[in-house]
Amino acid sequence: MKSWPWAILTPALIFVLIGIFAPLLMTHDPTKQDYSAILSPSSWSHWLGTDYLGRDMYSRIIGGARTSLVAMVVVLLAALIIGVVIGSFAGYIGGRTELVLISIIDIALALPSLIIALALIGVFSGEAWSWMSDYWKMIIALTLAWWANYARMSRAVVVAELQQPYIEAARVMGASHMWIFTRHILPHVLGLVVVYASADAGALVLAIATLSFLGLGVAPPTPEWGQMLVDGMSYIEDNPALVIIPGLALTAVVVSFNLLGEAFALQKVPKAVRGGLLRRKKSARAGEETARAATEAKA
Amino acid sequence: MKTNGGAAMIKLQRRSFLAGTAGLTLFSALPRIVLADGHDTLKVAIAGETGDLDLLQNVSTLSSYTVVFDGLIHYGAGGALEPGLATAWTVAEDGLSISFDLREGVLFSDGTPFDADAAEVNLKRWMGVPDFGWIGISAAFDSIVKDAPNKITVKLTRPVAAALLELTIVRPVRFLSPKAIGADGTQTAPIGTGPWIVESHDSTKTVLVRNDAYWGEKPSFSRMELLVVPDELARANGLRAGDLDVIGGDWVAPLSPRRASALKGDGMTVIAEPGTATTILGYSPKSPMMQDKAVRDAIFIGVDRAAMAAVLFEGYADATVNIFPTTVPTAGARIPVPTRDLAAAQAALTAGGWTGDASGFTKDGAPLLIDFLVSDEAFPGSRRIAEMIQGQLTEVGFQVNISSVDTATIHDRRPKFEYDLTFFATYGAPYDPHGSLGASFVTAADTGPDGKIYVSDDLDKVVLAALDAGGDAREPAMQAVYDWISSNTAACPLVVSQRIWAVNPRVAGFGLPTTDYDLPFKGITLS
Repeated sequence: MKSWPWAILTPALIFVLIGIFAPLLMTHDPTKQDYSAILSPSSWSHWLGTDYLGRDMYSRIIGGARTSLVAMVVVLLAALIIGVVIGSFAGYIGGRTELVLISIIDIALALPSLIIALALIGVFSGEAWSWMSDYWKMIIALTLAWWANYARMSRAVVVAELQQPYIEAARVMGASHMWIFTRHILPHVLGLVVVYASADAGALVLAIATLSFLGLGVAPPTPEWGQMLVDGMSYIEDNPALVIIPGLALTAVVVSFNLLGEAFALQKVPKAVRGGLLRRKKSARAGEETARAATEAKA
Repeated sequence: MKTNGGAAMIKLQRRSFLAGTAGLTLFSALPRIVLADGHDTLKVAIAGETGDLDLLQNVSTLSSYTVVFDGLIHYGAGGALEPGLATAWTVAEDGLSISFDLREGVLFSDGTPFDADAAEVNLKRWMGVPDFGWIGISAAFDSIVKDAPNKITVKLTRPVAAALLELTIVRPVRFLSPKAIGADGTQTAPIGTGPWIVESHDSTKTVLVRNDAYWGEKPSFSRMELLVVPDELARANGLRAGDLDVIGGDWVAPLSPRRASALKGDGMTVIAEPGTATTILGYSPKSPMMQDKAVRDAIFIGVDRAAMAAVLFEGYADATVNIFPTTVPTAGARIPVPTRDLAAAQAALTAGGWTGDASGFTKDGAPLLIDFLVSDEAFPGSRRIAEMIQGQLTEVGFQVNISSVDTATIHDRRPKFEYDLTFFATYGAPYDPHGSLGASFVTAADTGPDGKIYVSDDLDKVVLAALDAGGDAREPAMQAVYDWISSNTAACPLVVSQRIWAVNPRVAGFGLPTTDYDLPFKGITLS
């Protein structure tokens, strides 16, 4: 544990912990309006002051962390699962199916993710989708905009791993496709996409805030940093705190996740992950050697 | 030494004299240079590009037409009809013809005289044309008779009570030089008889120069620049920096109450007067939930209009439950604004068969859940108002989902009544009351993306009767409409936002233009 760079890990960890324990940390109901206390400065009763409807800013920042965390986790998990399944399937199956799937992935990657998300939210804003809340529309739109990178990466790893002799050996030994994929290929795929996802988390929090900033994300009165930013813009001249506080929170989270992702990528942090990968590599190598020995014995 | 010293002194004096003379000459010329460099120019912010000012196209910024083109009749304070290009008018007793005495000696800015021929050419571009059927006088148009070189009579197939008011609107009723009408009938240039002439326009600004041949009171300065500044904060900063002289006006470059307060604190002059447009919470007539009058009643009494005016509009709005403010003609009798009453709102729901309390109401197992359609892009500031209403209705026992959408979506969903609640605003002067009533409360009206505030077969009859009523019958007929809307809780008026403008200290004599569709210049002097 000593080799973990806690200075990098801690801010992201704090964000996650705040998101998880938000209901315990909030001092007020973040949606409660109090017209007698509008735009109050910091005080003992309102640590970060109040907004234009007299709502407690501290509680809204904490609530916003939870909103962003939940959306981020759901989108990342969903995008990762979809991406890994489609990418791995394409890489493993090959042929025309791979060609079709890779074309779809390339099309999805050709456009910026946020543009795709905006377009999808536009589609979801019709009456036919009115049964779904804006929050879930945003989550689905972001998931559909975010999966392609993971699919592309997964496919590349699968194609590379399929060339390895130990896969051939496993096949010779009669291992099933499912066995080969789950035991020998998936660990490699996950090792890479998880590292990528850790860096992607910051970008996703920013995308969530951007959509809310544009009025297309989380619906009021749920506190969300992007929405707090845009609502505070009207008051930037005489109450800049309404913009600065959510802006700082957003910046801190994005920067901390970016640093975390970078650290993961440089393999400074993920000793555990690296250890896991090494273990998997060792076991794969052992399987490979066993297969080779069996082949030689047959010969 | 003395002589030398005297010669040196004389030399020095001559040099000083020459330098001083040159300095004085430059100093005396400076004001002219400065004036030529913009100090005789009023710089007005506009939120969007002016466009080509085509009178028949719904594209260009409305406010810019009013300084270039004149109408027969001008809209005066409180809806008074004032002579424009017509000095007098007479409506026949049967209402089937209106005669106009045209102002003599008026020239378009290209030198073409304004006379009966020019008037006829212009009026026939839109009167009787199906695209302009939304204007009563156009829909009822029969023919034009030229009685004399400066007198025309418009004949109608049926009386139109608001005909004269309709001639005060911005477009298409104003007059274009016949030489600026192409062979195919389209407008080739923005040539009018107004106090200003378009010198140039592009996506960043429109430059207007004074029409020295204008028939009315001429502006005291020679140029006006309409600078496109879409962002409100940039407009406010431009005013502070002196890059802009005037900002404001709902249809020019809207100024929010918050920004107005900040500008006031920075030494800018802020002018606010009672507005002419009402912000209304519309109940969808197609929504099953909103067909329940108990629900409409509960919302009507459950919103806090006074708090809205004080908190979100910072006092720059007046709470109301009337469809129109008194600043528009025949606005009807005033209804006292009720104080928000949670118990009364809940009692209304209970009386309507709903059961529950502040934690939520249900009826036949269905929750009291409403969809509130909002577009901050189409109606700036509306999301914050919606949030406030959401909080207030939640305390009653409603569940309110705010659907925040873009302009395109609200323009698609509003005409189809795909919402429970949404915001509307009346058009304001000079279009009201006939404009908003005829468009927003009549089933057959084509209002395009604006949608309708409330429609029903019964209301259609009352509104159409009021729009047809003239003379002494008009006021009671209008009152009948307002009474119907009020007794059926067909709409939920909230506030009348004030007309807010701000000017920098070099602008003197600023007075609010008659409507927010007009640009300010009358009475202004620049220092």
